[in-house]
Amino acid sequence: MTGYLVRRAGQMVLTLFLIFTFAFFLVQAQPGDYASFYALDPDMPPEVKDQLRASFGLDKPLWEQYLIHLKNTVTGNFGVSFGHFPRPVMDVLIERVPRTAVLFLTATVLSFYIGFFLGKAIAWRRGGVLEYTATISGATLFTVFTPAFALMMIWIFSFRLGWLPVGKFLDPLVWRHAEVTANHVFGQMLLTAFLLTVFAFLALWILRKTGRVGLTRWAGPLIAVAAVVALLLLSLSGIGGLALDILKHMILPIATLTLISFAGTMLLTRNSMLETVREDYVMAARAKGLPEKLVRDRHAARNALLPVVTSLVYSLIFAIDGSVIIEGVFSWPGTGLTLLQAVRTEDLPLVMGAMVFIGLFSLLAHLIVDVLYVYLDPRIRYQ
Amino acid sequence: MTASAAVPVLRVVDLSLRYLTRGGEVKAVQDVNFELAQGEALGLVGESGCGKTSVANCLMRLLPDNAQLVAGQVFLDGQDILPLSEDQIREYRWQRIAMVFQAAMNALDPVYKVGQQVVEAIEAHGVEPTLSLARERVAGLFRMVGLDPALMDRYPHEFSGGMRQRAVIAMALACDPRVIIADEPTTALDVIVQDRILRELKGIQQRLHMAIIYISHDIAVVAEVTDRIGVMYAGRLVEYGPTAAVFRAPLHPYTAALMGSFPSIAGEKRVLANLSGEPPNLIDPPSGCPFHPRCLHATDVCRQEIPPRVERGDQWADCWHPLEAAPALEPADNGGT
Repeated sequence: MTGYLVRRAGQMVLTLFLIFTFAFFLVQAQPGDYASFYALDPDMPPEVKDQLRASFGLDKPLWEQYLIHLKNTVTGNFGVSFGHFPRPVMDVLIERVPRTAVLFLTATVLSFYIGFFLGKAIAWRRGGVLEYTATISGATLFTVFTPAFALMMIWIFSFRLGWLPVGKFLDPLVWRHAEVTANHVFGQMLLTAFLLTVFAFLALWILRKTGRVGLTRWAGPLIAVAAVVALLLLSLSGIGGLALDILKHMILPIATLTLISFAGTMLLTRNSMLETVREDYVMAARAKGLPEKLVRDRHAARNALLPVVTSLVYSLIFAIDGSVIIEGVFSWPGTGLTLLQAVRTEDLPLVMGAMVFIGLFSLLAHLIVDVLYVYLDPRIRYQ
Repeated sequence: MTASAAVPVLRVVDLSLRYLTRGGEVKAVQDVNFELAQGEALGLVGESGCGKTSVANCLMRLLPDNAQLVAGQVFLDGQDILPLSEDQIREYRWQRIAMVFQAAMNALDPVYKVGQQVVEAIEAHGVEPTLSLARERVAGLFRMVGLDPALMDRYPHEFSGGMRQRAVIAMALACDPRVIIADEPTTALDVIVQDRILRELKGIQQRLHMAIIYISHDIAVVAEVTDRIGVMYAGRLVEYGPTAAVFRAPLHPYTAALMGSFPSIAGEKRVLANLSGEPPNLIDPPSGCPFHPRCLHATDVCRQEIPPRVERGDQWADCWHPLEAAPALEPADNGGT
């Protein structure tokens, strides 16, 4: 396993280098540069433009620019964003990446759970009302034109019903007298969610270690209590109202994303499970006198999970690069929107920084799922 | 029908089963009767598609959705299990009647440790109060079937075919069942391992005084380990009797043909009497005796009328032209020498 990880790390460095190179020349292949963004600005004399080019090093030959950029990136220097001048690229990314990650990670986990749960239920009881409803609505949502659906969600829940905000990250009216920044509040929310997740996993792990089946049943209520306590603490800390405002802005994009993507997991789980229910070990589990729920969850669904996890990788990558469409429609200031803006304005350092980040996270997601596979399927061993 | 001295643990009365398929009703099991006393071993033999596994699945109540029980009763310890609810039948499974599966290879779930899969059965029935006691029990079972208890924490793919078969036997023994069904228990194994495992299974069965049903297409394999034998053809039991008697002198031509399909090492060199053709389509079974299209002795009466029951001591067969006491074919040697 160690040897495998070392080799894998080597491959990742190489892949990252290729991503970097490819992205660099792809961005440069666009006509013009950052300075030509001001081409039509009458207040900008040509000599100022040349000065601008010279100060950013854009007048140097392409290969020289590439080498300088590569050297800086390797030493961890992502440079300063042209568009957000003088903010460093790293600063912009550290602000934007968590916003996208939270949005898409939540949606990915939600749609995975909903999809897996529905998928195994409809594979277990074929031909029921649930199967037709879930399959038809799931497939419809999966294939619907995303911007249209997102706008429809906004129209229903924000415009007609007025339950949720139309878009953006926060409501300026709520924040007018706030003494803390949005990034601070968001950081606290992330910390709470992270601690809660760690607690949930630890609780499950410890309860399972005791080896008593009866105790595992308490995991759900225990985690629920912890969640309530965490929410209480957050609301008592004085930033509760602000956190609630951000949370309200997150609901609609997360719901939209979950609705359009759960069907993929659901149909995959269903097909995979239709094969495992016919396996002899499922019949053996039933013959052993296990309750149907255990036969389904512990044997049929557990084995059906393996191919479904593979598809999870692709959704995980989505969690970092975001979706330009969803972030665009909901004006969510995340990585997707930032990257789009940076590409359009030829903000080279920001594009490159974002690309390296996205590449790194994609490679890590692949690695995590591959390692996870070893735990999910004992037949798989890497040498 | 023979009346055993002991009260039967398992009694199957007039069992008939159909499968509803697109092509029509498959009459998989028809009017099957037999009983099994404590400690007794019964063999059910016949070609593939003769209803042996369907009978076994009825006994476990593990039937596919398209199966329909037409008639019959299955008494397990005096209780008819066929009308029981799904929750009630769960209590019977594995505690009263367990199964050694046809393909041991696939009967073990690849993602769990082998020991864990046996523990699971023990836990489901609350046979042992704690996990450590359950694990101790599994270790004991592993020893009984000739497996190193350390193998409990290995995964099925780390086992050889023979080891898997032993593990599946250990699993079947987990809750001290009264009856064990061994469905083609050794078919996937090579002959030497097959023989050894069968003998060990026989030893365990006698020691624990369990009733066992061996299901096999190989009449020679069954002959070595059973007290009684039932020959199935086209969903019916066509011959039934003490194993020794059936082997000495089969009444039904089908039984003789099955015996003739296996070579005998001790006997003279001879051409194997092959059964030509295949078992009939059970959607539309032949009229009269179902075996008549393939039978060398068939006459008009066989084609038209259901054959009567012929008895000879404890042995019986449904046949118009039962074979005489001295069969034309050499019976397979059943290890008597």
